[in-house]
Amino acid sequence: MFYQLLQKIIRTASGRTRFVMAIIGLSIALLLIFSAVQIEINYNELLHGKTNQDSIANFLVINKLLNSKSYGTTTLSNNEIKNLQQQPFIDAVGILTPSRYKSSIQSYSDRFPFFTEISFESVPATFIDVTTKDWQWNEQNNYIPMIAPNMFLDFYNFQFSLSQNLPQLTQEVVKMIVFKVNITTATGVITFNGKIVGFSDRITSLLVPQEFMDWANQHYGSSQNTQPSRAVIRTKDPGNPLLVGYLKEHNLTTDADKTRFSKYRQIVNAIVNISWITGAVMLLFALLIFTLFIQLTIASCKDEIQLLITLGASPKQLKLFLLKQFFPSNIIIVVIALISVAALQYILHDFLLQQNIFVSSYISAYTVLTALLVITVLWVTNHRTISTYISLHNK
Amino acid sequence: MQFQLNHIVPTPLKDIFSQRQSDIWNKDITFFKEEYIKIKAPSGTGKTTFIHILYKLRHDFEGHVLYDSINIADIQKDELAIIRQQKISIIFQDLRLFPNLTAAENIELKRVMQTPIYEKNIIHEMAEKLGIVHILKQKAGLCSYGEQQRIAIIRALVQPFDWLLMDEPFSHLDEQNTHKAALLIAEECAKRKAGFIITDLDEDNHFNYTKKLLL
Repeated sequence: MFYQLLQKIIRTASGRTRFVMAIIGLSIALLLIFSAVQIEINYNELLHGKTNQDSIANFLVINKLLNSKSYGTTTLSNNEIKNLQQQPFIDAVGILTPSRYKSSIQSYSDRFPFFTEISFESVPATFIDVTTKDWQWNEQNNYIPMIAPNMFLDFYNFQFSLSQNLPQLTQEVVKMIVFKVNITTATGVITFNGKIVGFSDRITSLLVPQEFMDWANQHYGSSQNTQPSRAVIRTKDPGNPLLVGYLKEHNLTTDADKTRFSKYRQIVNAIVNISWITGAVMLLFALLIFTLFIQLTIASCKDEIQLLITLGASPKQLKLFLLKQFFPSNIIIVVIALISVAALQYILHDFLLQQNIFVSSYISAYTVLTALLVITVLWVTNHRTISTYISLHNK
Repeated sequence: MQFQLNHIVPTPLKDIFSQRQSDIWNKDITFFKEEYIKIKAPSGTGKTTFIHILYKLRHDFEGHVLYDSINIADIQKDELAIIRQQKISIIFQDLRLFPNLTAAENIELKRVMQTPIYEKNIIHEMAEKLGIVHILKQKAGLCSYGEQQRIAIIRALVQPFDWLLMDEPFSHLDEQNTHKAALLIAEECAKRKAGFIITDLDEDNHFNYTKKLLL
């Protein structure tokens, strides 16, 4: 009842246009800010999410740039590897161990006459994205597990098989085939069985378990060139300019295709930044207009407020009343902006799914957190303005 | 609650008051609970100033005013509001109604500003006693001074209080209406075991005063 009477005394109707302007400004500002947060989260999800194959971008295989200057000295020294490990933008470094013996791989079946000379590489298990219990080897094993790059199979299926009149093979079929692996030693050829246990895009060579590589190199390998020449690094952000600069400075090179993400990143960053800055500036202006609106309302009712306080209304009662007049509209705006971004996200999810890109259909917790933060900022602004101007008229 | 005045002198009128005999200015004086105090003074001698100092509306005076031994200079704004809602009610000489609210709304405001002690129908009952039922739904700004004064009287009586401060409360009323208003005021003060301080120009017998002072 008291508030109903206060509503008649302190009329908030004056300056409605300003109020509407502030509301529109605030709505757009919040839409931009929430979108910026959501785009950033979506992009990170695309980069790091398990559901997206793009995680390959975080693993870069690096080696020395081979040119007339570096010819013959392309190995990586221990110091260079140590230096790599110390860089803040590199999370982990794995040495790629090449096989130091001659080897070839062929099929047992006559119907599928397949033979190629090949070399293997191995890398610590933590750098491999194929999780299978078959990925282990000891001397009792009757076959060597191998991981092949997807591009090998693509090359076979879409070029080689056609030219040789061989059948096309799916990943499942390839995994069932037992290959014959020949290793040429000083005393003759030794034969093993080999099986493809998985495919990966991360490292573009035929991988064998580190245990087999070490054992085979020790038994059959030449002792020359034991220093590694390739390494794989894990990084959170392959588009990081510091990383790109470091590689260039140390004459190192990597799979250029993967750096396409750095270009995407720049574009996304630009969009996110523009959205942020515009949103922040608009929020600032909206806050300013809101503050002015509250100020105007209080100033236009200053006699009434003074009389109310004279009659015994407490500044606390008046502040609470004014907060109830102004603040709910702010919460409604935040909620509407949040719902709009949620709807956009849902549409985006559906749209991208058609292109086999997966983003969550819901907005992220960070976006909701941002909304809560904005509500806090709005509350503080409202509260401070009201407190300041009430006490100004209550001296 | 009691008022204690320690040598108060309004600063703007300091020179005039220092030369004049007064029962209040520059005196040590205490108003005890349930006292009915009449303060008589001619125009322009500071009656309203005195009421406003007691109500902590003016700060331009020397000396101290204490509510129950608390110096009112030390009372914070929110505490002061509670005192005005619970302990001290006031009828201003200049009435101070909200002109855009109806008579009933002006009174209701003071009834519900704190936890109400009376039901809403008290407004009608009191208005009936003072003969202003017919203007209850009228905007206060459109009422005559006599009617406004009676609205202000009722407004001061619908809240809890220990003290009622009245600054020439009957200045716009004829004898008959003054009598009715004084009866209602006395009745309400008795109900609350409250005291009052009333200022006026002349002698009168509206109440059984316990103390008569010259300003």
